[in-house]
Amino acid sequence: MGIKLFLTIYFAFFLGGCSAYSMRPIYSLNNIFSAADSYREPYNAGRWLAALVNYNGKEKIELVDLRLKKLVPLPGINRQDSRPISVAVTADGQRIAFIRQRSDQTELMIYRRSLRTLQRIELSPKGIPQRLSLDGIGKVLAVQVSRNGRLDIDLVRIEI
Amino acid sequence: MIGCFEKILKQFVLLISLLGLLGCAPRVQRSPVGLLSSNQQEPALSGDGTKLALIVNRNGRPTVQLQEVKTGRIIQLRQLSRYQPHSSPSLSWNGRYLALIVQRRNRRMPIIEDRLMGRVHELLVPQERIPIRLSLSPTASQLAIQVAHKGKWRIEFFDMSDKLEPDQPISNRGSSIFENIN
Repeated sequence: MGIKLFLTIYFAFFLGGCSAYSMRPIYSLNNIFSAADSYREPYNAGRWLAALVNYNGKEKIELVDLRLKKLVPLPGINRQDSRPISVAVTADGQRIAFIRQRSDQTELMIYRRSLRTLQRIELSPKGIPQRLSLDGIGKVLAVQVSRNGRLDIDLVRIEI
Repeated sequence: MIGCFEKILKQFVLLISLLGLLGCAPRVQRSPVGLLSSNQQEPALSGDGTKLALIVNRNGRPTVQLQEVKTGRIIQLRQLSRYQPHSSPSLSWNGRYLALIVQRRNRRMPIIEDRLMGRVHELLVPQERIPIRLSLSPTASQLAIQVAHKGKWRIEFFDMSDKLEPDQPISNRGSSIFENIN
């Protein structure tokens, strides 16, 4: 009886709840990400992937159409005088939220691809945005904000 | 008389424009648990925007926390306590799957909790790669991982479609937004 109980608990807690799995690489997609010096901060929205990409020491935001396996032009989003810190994209690839550092300012921005417009979002109370996440529709933005040495998550509701 | 009418018309148009702009201005609110927990980091929203995963400091250890966006109610994650510390959470569309990077012994590894089935999938990355950050696609069909490999950061994709059931929008099954990429 004791052994049966022990084995039941052992299997339930140590074997039943998890399994190790060797993941299968998708080589057709991995080949897209080899031209630059480095790639970081992937934001996977299904068909679309946004990331921060470094060429010769200069980092910029790139959006890749994973179905067509090609880069999507983002006119006006990358500037010579700014450095992107974090990026996110909606499921339809139309809105990109990002944080950039420009001179001594850290800015939270929304880019609308169809309109090619940039909108700055002000945080209240003020703080330094550091990392973000966007929901699939583009209505809610979650931002990690530093205020007086403390880290908060702000939720930003965006009217579509 | 006509000049006066034009002036009034211009002012009316300006007022309407201002109201329109105000209507479009994003509204900022603090996370519902913002005032209770200190040092909240690495936010990750579910695709439908109803759930938020974040990293909080619990007993000195970075720990993932899942909560409802609307109410702030914390959703229990029973499977993950033996994998601490946690980093880089990522949610599928409805929040059924929570992917994150954990430390297991002296090795960093990605894992995915299937909240519906109560299972944890430990994921083995190819050798000589150290997972840094990850991002799960909304349907959970593929996982993008930033890895450190031979002194460089790369992004590598892994197929999860034979391991995880799709987590699609309830009102949008079969939508063209979620085309199969592979």
